Amino acid sequence: MASQNSPMRYEEDGNVHLDFHGAVNTTIDFIVERFGVDAMDEIFKKVGRDVYVSIRQDLIAGDTRQLVRHWKHFFDRENADYDIAIGEDEIVLTVRRCTAWHHVKGLVGHVSPHFCDQTSRTNEAMAEGSPYAIDTEITGEGSCRQVIRRRA
Amino acid sequence: MIPSDHFTRFYNEIFKFLETQGEEALEAYWLAISKNQERHILDLIQTEGLAGMYEYWSHIKIEENCDMDLDFDEDRLELRMNVCPSLSKVLDNDAAPMERYCDHCAGWIGPIMDKTGYHMVYDVIDRTKPQCVTRIFKDPAKAREAEKDAKLLMGWPGHKLG
Repeated sequence: MASQNSPMRYEEDGNVHLDFHGAVNTTIDFIVERFGVDAMDEIFKKVGRDVYVSIRQDLIAGDTRQLVRHWKHFFDRENADYDIAIGEDEIVLTVRRCTAWHHVKGLVGHVSPHFCDQTSRTNEAMAEGSPYAIDTEITGEGSCRQVIRRRA
Repeated sequence: MIPSDHFTRFYNEIFKFLETQGEEALEAYWLAISKNQERHILDLIQTEGLAGMYEYWSHIKIEENCDMDLDFDEDRLELRMNVCPSLSKVLDNDAAPMERYCDHCAGWIGPIMDKTGYHMVYDVIDRTKPQCVTRIFKDPAKAREAEKDAKLLMGWPGHKLG
């Protein structure tokens, strides 16, 4: 279902600036307070559809490899505690310690209750129109389980 | 998680949404980001002045992988961005860039300079190219003089141009 060798549209190197997660948190608070959760969700969906169009096109074509590689590349860069289990019927990303969530918690003390919507909504939008669903289950503070499986 | 590496592409989508809501919404957002950034830079400026700014942007230069020259003396700090990683990523993007993407930098830095009594001259040069020059002065007269050399001068909330 997935291998390590497919090309990625966005591959980054160099240093990592984790404080950007703090700006994401501020942004979520700002948009939700002024325009509501639906507006924030729609922006996350645009990120999933328009920024990650290459991953989405692969998923529509039945290819999960770029998304799996994307997960590995960026969770490694941010030194998260996670693993990815690739099975016959599903691919499961288990995040035990999300660097983004914990960085924001350390930086400002308050993590938006909508912080993890960035993951859920972006995943949903990337999978839109594809044979796959990507479900995101928040399992605790800074932890989640993301599952790619074929739609019934 | 939207990776921190991809923050600027997310930022770009936020700007595009806010632009549809009007200038006031965009400026209110820059001010919210400015407030957020105060926790990283305000104390440095208030305690160390231009040297504190130099320290902050020296750190940013490394952590955000900027191709940037920094120079300061007792009168002013100059940031010469040769290749801005933020706009570069927004241009290397499957989503369309917001045409005024560069304006956010003046939008968050300017209010902090106003608050701390410094005078910024932010020359974007060309919004389609990832380069700019920012000069921050102690003396307002020197700032006004430097504005004359700017190719595309930026204003910010509370400091409108012309």
